[in-house]
Amino acid sequence: MTADATALTTHGPALETHGSGGMGNPVLGMLLFITSEVMFFAGLFAAYFSIRAGYTEVINSVSTHVWPPTQFQHLLNPFTLTTESGALNLILPATLILLSSSVTCQLGLMAIRRNDRRGFVRAFAVTLVLGVSFLLLQAFDYSVLMHEGLTMGATTFGTTYFTLTGFHGAHVFGGALMLSVVVYRGMAGQFSAKHHDMVEAVSWYWHFVDVVWLLLFSILYLL
Amino acid sequence: MSMPPRSRTGSGPLLAGLIIVMVAAVAVIVLAAAGATPQSVWDSFFPVQGVTPATDRSHSTKSLYDIVFYIAVAVFFLVEGLIVFSVFRYRRKPGDDELPPQIHGNNVVEVIWTVIPTAIVAFLFLLSWQTLNTVDAKVPTDVHVRAVAQRFQWSFQYLDGPSSDANVLFTQVIPVGNDGGMFIPVGKPVQVDLLAKDVIHAFYVPKFLFKRDAVPGKLNTFDFTVDEAGTYRGQCAELCGPGHGAMVFDVHAVDQATFDTWFKAQVAQAAATPTPAASGAAQGPVVDLAAQNISYSTKALQAPADTPFTIDFKNDDTGVPHNVAIKDASGNEVFKGDIITGPAEKSYDVPALKPGTYTFVCSVHPTMTGTITVQ
Amino acid sequence: MATTTLNPAAPAYRSALYEWLTTTDHKKIGIMYLINSIIFFLAGGILALIVRLQLVIPKDATTIGGLVSPEFYNQAFTMHASFMLFLFIIPILAGFGNYAVPLQIGAPDMAFPRINALSFWLLPLGGALMASGFLATGGAAASGWTEYPPLSGAKFNGPGTDLWIMGLTLIGTSSILGAINFLVTIFKMRAPGMTLFRMPIMVWTILVTSVLVLMATPVLTSALIMLFIDRNYGGHFFDPANGGNAILYQNVFWFYSHPAVYIMILPAMGIVSEVLPVFSRKPLFGYKAFVFATVAIGALGFSVWAHHMFTTGAVFLPFFSLMTFLIAVPTGVKMFNWIATLWRGKLTFSTPLVFATGFLTMFLIGGLNGAFSAAVPVDFAIHDTYWVVAHLHYVLFGGSVFGVFAGIYYWFPKMTGRMLNETLGKLQFLIMFIGFNMTFFPMHQLGLAGMPRRIADYSASAGWTDLNIVATIGGFTIAASILPFLWNVLVSLRSGRIAGDDPWEGNTLEWATSSPPPPYNFDHLPEIRSERPVFDARHGQAAAH
Repeated sequence: MTADATALTTHGPALETHGSGGMGNPVLGMLLFITSEVMFFAGLFAAYFSIRAGYTEVINSVSTHVWPPTQFQHLLNPFTLTTESGALNLILPATLILLSSSVTCQLGLMAIRRNDRRGFVRAFAVTLVLGVSFLLLQAFDYSVLMHEGLTMGATTFGTTYFTLTGFHGAHVFGGALMLSVVVYRGMAGQFSAKHHDMVEAVSWYWHFVDVVWLLLFSILYLL
Repeated sequence: MSMPPRSRTGSGPLLAGLIIVMVAAVAVIVLAAAGATPQSVWDSFFPVQGVTPATDRSHSTKSLYDIVFYIAVAVFFLVEGLIVFSVFRYRRKPGDDELPPQIHGNNVVEVIWTVIPTAIVAFLFLLSWQTLNTVDAKVPTDVHVRAVAQRFQWSFQYLDGPSSDANVLFTQVIPVGNDGGMFIPVGKPVQVDLLAKDVIHAFYVPKFLFKRDAVPGKLNTFDFTVDEAGTYRGQCAELCGPGHGAMVFDVHAVDQATFDTWFKAQVAQAAATPTPAASGAAQGPVVDLAAQNISYSTKALQAPADTPFTIDFKNDDTGVPHNVAIKDASGNEVFKGDIITGPAEKSYDVPALKPGTYTFVCSVHPTMTGTITVQ
Repeated sequence: MATTTLNPAAPAYRSALYEWLTTTDHKKIGIMYLINSIIFFLAGGILALIVRLQLVIPKDATTIGGLVSPEFYNQAFTMHASFMLFLFIIPILAGFGNYAVPLQIGAPDMAFPRINALSFWLLPLGGALMASGFLATGGAAASGWTEYPPLSGAKFNGPGTDLWIMGLTLIGTSSILGAINFLVTIFKMRAPGMTLFRMPIMVWTILVTSVLVLMATPVLTSALIMLFIDRNYGGHFFDPANGGNAILYQNVFWFYSHPAVYIMILPAMGIVSEVLPVFSRKPLFGYKAFVFATVAIGALGFSVWAHHMFTTGAVFLPFFSLMTFLIAVPTGVKMFNWIATLWRGKLTFSTPLVFATGFLTMFLIGGLNGAFSAAVPVDFAIHDTYWVVAHLHYVLFGGSVFGVFAGIYYWFPKMTGRMLNETLGKLQFLIMFIGFNMTFFPMHQLGLAGMPRRIADYSASAGWTDLNIVATIGGFTIAASILPFLWNVLVSLRSGRIAGDDPWEGNTLEWATSSPPPPYNFDHLPEIRSERPVFDARHGQAAAH
């Protein structure tokens, strides 16, 4: 009547089980974590849309809905390489860099799935470099914007812009830390086709960070 | 290992009774010490019985409340009754180790007790939606008041147009008392707009069965008609800081003639040029008093009897109106100083007072009080 | 049934303190959750006593002030609620989940034991941060546990509010990490034979609660961050003078805080659903309906948040009123399922069942008085009055806290190997039940009579004095009931009757191992063919289905 103790499917000190679902525990855990982060950004986006919908300026003595505020509209065209005052506008290149980093990330994941350890490490190293480049370009962009008068306190547009992009940047930074760990462990030979849960998990996270940026970029710059 | 032996429940009810009696005794003693009477305690338990709410639309609210109440009481007795019944009827007899019938469910019963509650709540929802339309209805109004909420007092501005500073005819600065508060004509529709100057407040009159938030940056407005003449106490109902509990106001519903007279007098007073402040040497001894954070700097003052004296009053509460008024032991007002908005100073010339103990109070904030000993 | 022959008290080669500080064992972590939560329960209770002493009588008809200043009073009720909600109720239920879930699904531990430890340690840290506000300039957070701007802004409140925000962010992180752990554990580590519909109801409630935590808590984090930015970095999210919106905070805040109340009740309902079948000697009536009702409450819980904002003038009232009324249906279904479990059972009134019955009777009242607030015009009268204080305490105290004590008396033997004293337990219940009703029932009347919430004093002519006296005496009666409880725990730890594996004739897997269980939980597992594997093993297949 009692079940055999070996029926308990645990192996290894990390309590990693591959249940009938196929997905490893760390990957499921990361997907759930990403869900919680999606909800965090949802709260910020909800605030942004709510503020945007109600923002008015007095133009010719009439209260008019306008967005972005008139004094900042010139800063938000991503397709010009310089702003009106001659500073470099690098938001589009930064976006393309981040997008490519998702491609290299996926290539690296596919590599380790077929046990190509060298290719995997190289691809992830490139991903890391691209990710850090994005952060540097974003920082440069921030300095340009602040120089032009867009700051955290400069109307709710400034507040929402820097909060949204700032927290995205923080997530990219966290992702970069994770990528570094993956690259380090990869170089130490700790991953193989059979055991690379962390690589899967970090890849998911990196794509998530990229998708959030696409949304942000579209909403802040294009719409 | 089997269940532990049933504890002796024989002493349970006795112990319960003892505890109830002890706690009740403490309650009776403290209540008596505080001056409660059996009647006052009894009345406290029935706050809505026999109390007619004061506005036209509040009757709909009361009816809705009554219906929800009766349904809730019925459900309470039914369900609580089932629990209490089960608890007594199905006790395990000592030594009975046989299992009861292992019933896992019953589809019919489960459907019934899902469908019936759904029907009840659907009914309640429709009823409350209908009542809401009555309570929130907008009607043409004769009187238009803007209730201004600020830490920590209400003031009432009477308007002759849409809510804006340009349309303010006059401001009723004192929120309570016979010569303060919001005057409105009884039986006539009134529109109230809410303006919050600093944080979120809420306009609440319990006898109107109604409240609405005053939110900075948002204009909330509502209409109502008071049925019966009288004075109705109101209070801020959204936490706004330490003085939240002090933000009281009165609504005076008076007959049309009284209202018209009062209204005309207020308009005239607001339009008239203010009389120049009396200058000259302070008369008699000088008493210092200041106001800050909705309280006076001291709660005990001394003043000489039978001779005029001066109160040098300093209002340190920025943006907040204060004054000093003096009442005798029977509550009659013997002096009322001009209201000044801080930061400001004013010297009040107080006439001679007979010896005795008087109360000084702020006309705007009735919780600001102290005692003057005149001797 | 299975018993273990191992002596769980293996000789330690490190000190016990070190072992507890560094443990990743879900059982020890669960117990630490319980201890930390009870400490904050006591702290929150002391703050409540300060509130009740302040309000017992009006100081005099016209003067504010008395026991404490109005400034401190506002801190007292703000931190009372903050401690109770974020540092007591939510964590203690997570602690029960931590202890019970791996055992009940036949797993050796949680999916991520080290993250589990991190989740716990964030709690005393976050709690200390929040509490340190009392030492800050201007005192602790004082704008209510809801901290609405503009009042909670930098202009009106000092660094105590920032410490509150930071502490709460850590606590929220602890919750979210815990939720991830629970979900992976439940989905991936059930013993063979335990399909989802054979899981104990406790596990189901933790599952749904974890989904709520995962989806809702991050939204609170976003609200807190926006408030922090407004307070410290010149932000204007909630500043109407610069394009912001004060009501925005309320929407984002309540989007979390309404599901939060289900986070605070569902696991307590799970505990009650474990206790009732065991002490009635019958299965839970309508298991499947119960699961669906739990899921329905979780889902519907996301659609009602604005019923906390009916008086703002910024809400689409009919929708939120309808959803609020609808959520009464699955809750009612549960109530009837529980009663049907008792019905025709053979009830043994040990302390766990006594508290579970207290839950049923008191949570019913809390549900009924909530219906009044769902009716919008009635809410216009009772919102922000003591009626709401009555409602929230009937569901949170009469509901969750009684459920928590049922869980303590039920699982203490499993955790420690010793029984709690039955007489002291029932004495605690008696005093607590009387005190609780005495404190909170009069608040219905006070709300109807017009007494607003969060006021530091009131006028003697308002007619509220008598009931406030009754409520204060009730509050101290509740405090008195804690004494037999604490005494019970301390004495039973040393000399309580030895429990053995299964003192209650339980149904679920935790009773198939020793008390306390060995570090890896099970030597053998019984066969799992239903939601009551230990019951089945005890009575053989014939008596079961």
